[in-house]
Amino acid sequence: MEPNSVPQNSVVDQEAERIREDLLRPLFQTTWRFYTGVSVLVAIGLAGMAAFIYQTYAGMGVAGISRPVFWAFYITNFVFWIGISHAGTLISAILRLVNATWRRPVTRCAEAITVFALIIGGQFPIIHLGRPWLFFWLIPYPNERHIWPNFRSPLLWDFLAITTYITGSVTFLLLPIIPDWATVRDRATGCRKRIYRVLALGWQGTPREWHRLETAMHIMTIVIIPVAVSVHTIVSWDFAMALVPGWHSTVFGPYFVVGAIFSGIAALIVAMALLRKFLHLEEYLKPIHFENLGKLLLLFSLLWVYFVFAERLTVWYGNETSEMAAFWSIQRGKFAFLFWTMVSCNFIIPFPILAIKQLRTITGTVIASCTVVIGMWLERFLIVVPPLEQKYLPYDWGSYRPTWVEITIMIGTAAGMILFYVLFVKVVPIISMWELKGGEHTETVPAEAPVVVGGRGSGLENTLPSTNS
Amino acid sequence: MAHRWEMIIDLDRCTGCEACVVACHAENNIATVSPKEAARGRTMHWIHVERSWEGEYPNIRVRFQPVLCQQCDAAPCEPVCPTYASYHNAEGLNAQVYNRCIGTRYCANACPYTARLFNWFNPVWDKPLNLQFNPDVSIREVGVMEKCTFCNQRITVAEIHASAENRELKDGEVTPACVQSCPSGAMVFGDLNDPNSQVSRLTRLPRGTKLLGELGTSPKITYLERESSHGAE
Amino acid sequence: MDAIYGLFPNLDTARRALSALRTGSPELRIRQESIIVISSEPLEGEGLCWNEQRSFMPWLAVVGGLIGGTAGYALAAFTQRTYPLPTGGMPIVALWPTGIVIYELGMLGAILTTIVTFLITARLPRYRNRIYDPEVSYGKILVGVTGADRDLGAKVKQRLQEQGAEQIKEIMGHQE
Repeated sequence: MEPNSVPQNSVVDQEAERIREDLLRPLFQTTWRFYTGVSVLVAIGLAGMAAFIYQTYAGMGVAGISRPVFWAFYITNFVFWIGISHAGTLISAILRLVNATWRRPVTRCAEAITVFALIIGGQFPIIHLGRPWLFFWLIPYPNERHIWPNFRSPLLWDFLAITTYITGSVTFLLLPIIPDWATVRDRATGCRKRIYRVLALGWQGTPREWHRLETAMHIMTIVIIPVAVSVHTIVSWDFAMALVPGWHSTVFGPYFVVGAIFSGIAALIVAMALLRKFLHLEEYLKPIHFENLGKLLLLFSLLWVYFVFAERLTVWYGNETSEMAAFWSIQRGKFAFLFWTMVSCNFIIPFPILAIKQLRTITGTVIASCTVVIGMWLERFLIVVPPLEQKYLPYDWGSYRPTWVEITIMIGTAAGMILFYVLFVKVVPIISMWELKGGEHTETVPAEAPVVVGGRGSGLENTLPSTNS
Repeated sequence: MAHRWEMIIDLDRCTGCEACVVACHAENNIATVSPKEAARGRTMHWIHVERSWEGEYPNIRVRFQPVLCQQCDAAPCEPVCPTYASYHNAEGLNAQVYNRCIGTRYCANACPYTARLFNWFNPVWDKPLNLQFNPDVSIREVGVMEKCTFCNQRITVAEIHASAENRELKDGEVTPACVQSCPSGAMVFGDLNDPNSQVSRLTRLPRGTKLLGELGTSPKITYLERESSHGAE
Repeated sequence: MDAIYGLFPNLDTARRALSALRTGSPELRIRQESIIVISSEPLEGEGLCWNEQRSFMPWLAVVGGLIGGTAGYALAAFTQRTYPLPTGGMPIVALWPTGIVIYELGMLGAILTTIVTFLITARLPRYRNRIYDPEVSYGKILVGVTGADRDLGAKVKQRLQEQGAEQIKEIMGHQE
């Protein structure tokens, strides 16, 4: 469906119009690649769903978990996806708060990752239940069962925290989309125009509306950061509150938050690279963005190493019998291969790539990010499973091996995440048009280009290019 | 007066015969599992006897220790259950409410004794075992946690009889299935709040230890270590 | 509603037009509130960004947070006291876990309050009685007047023309 073409009798700023056309093109043009990609993702997602239905019907026994490893792949994936969701909060909220203007083309990609990662991650507490059809018993509402959920349980804190975070993230994502949907509404035709008219909520663009929007975003920015920190801290307390040697550690709160932001940045870099390639956004997602994010990734890699070292050193130094069993099985025993792969993926490989400026290119950061994503998944797995395999009493020790059910569900949910993201890109401009300043996207300003006024620092930095007098 | 149930297990008398394990299965409608599932760690023994060797040949001694839910006073499995399926009842028992359990298995992870068991499948009994269910105990469906309840059904029945006859419970009137079936009398069950009961006497013996007592879970089962054991814990 | 407006190509011309309308408002018999500006990006400058009541939305969010936190405490304390089930030797209403509940529901209260306040004060959603021109989404800035006197319509148009409007348009009657 072709958008409305530029009206006659008007002099349009060519540069700004080209930006809008570039960013709106994915909404109006669809290639065969989209259709094949979506079909494949839907098929994989359905396979995952089928595996879950089978598990519900046949019993949790079809999965690989057993006594004593009562939590494994599902909880690993739960923590992993909630961790990935911290991408948006860091980039969007923290960088917005400190007025880092380079983040503008990146914010919506990041916020979308947050929302969808939360939706996917939020499936796993239901998937891992023994009686998943009763998951709604965790919702605190007056009911006929004469009982309320237990607020002393970390799982309830999980429920409240993730509900709050998802509400905040969806708000954070949707509010700035409204003006862009208004633009799409103006360009669309037919029934698509009607849909976008409803979605745009009748947005006009009066100074009142802009002011309210920006104030609301400012409040959300300040609120979402402590919420995000609390969410992954509370997720980490699912482990830290239990008397399991290797879990009952006070460092888990900050350790998990740092790991979450770490994996979030990596996921964002990968997403940005894919968007750049498939949507031809080379002029908007530029090497400088990857370089800046690469520096942040380096910082968090070092922070992650710091936390891992601090935790392991403390355990090793204390030499408490129960804790050392899991410690050695991770470092030298059964899980050594996974442990050292994780260290390589999270630090040994990314560190030189991200630290050396010549290697911190788009390709370099993407490679580093891919290894980080794998490494962080391994880290979650190594936190959940090895301590459960070797708890206090040796006659209770056991082992874990995943079955096809768990693997299929895991791949299915990953496909679901990518599918949601791909559909999102088709419905919303993935780079916020109104936040992107007119001429800022070009690094070198040609002589005849309009002068761009910017950097006011008040937050209201968007100005139209003014003509040279 | 409220009861406080406690169990004493004398490791000097335990012969490792596992009659308690079988009796518990029979009393509480616990299913057995196939050898394949057992190899995967899916057995459902509410009480299990653990054997360990001490010393070097030819002075080897074997030690048998029945391990079951310790009914801890500061049970780590209780606060973590999101639906209050695991809570502390007025008689000091850690109660497991099957109907409230949605199977998060957090309690099983939190229990340091791994005393809790999960129904991985709907239980199945080979014929003719399907004819010998105990009508006082419900059968748990798939997805629900279960564990030793100190045969709460027997406690309840005894209390009902005692209050119907307008008297207190006598010491030894209530015995869980494992205590009842132990041939060497290694297990004793009774009311700690009764100063004259056998458990009150035995629990004060210097041989008495608690399993993983240093963790602060306040377990209610006192193990009487063997008289001449080496390095008893 | 009736409206007369001009579409301006950039911020400078729009700003001049706006001040021309403002200074000429007694003569043209237009009220300050009926001057409208519409743009596809937030603008800077006097009269273009809304300065009045700048700071009440954050305070409402704080109030929403306090209400949420109180609701969190009430939820935890009331439900736990009504159906008291001791767990793990902890008190019935434990201090530290209740703190977490208070915090999370407080944040949720702040978020929900912000959403509601935004929608109400920005007067969204509103699908009727809107002045809008699709050219705005091509970067033009719309400056105009609603409900202007018919006779003075020509004078308004002249003012707008003077300040460099590319197009002048007029809307008669109900516009959706």
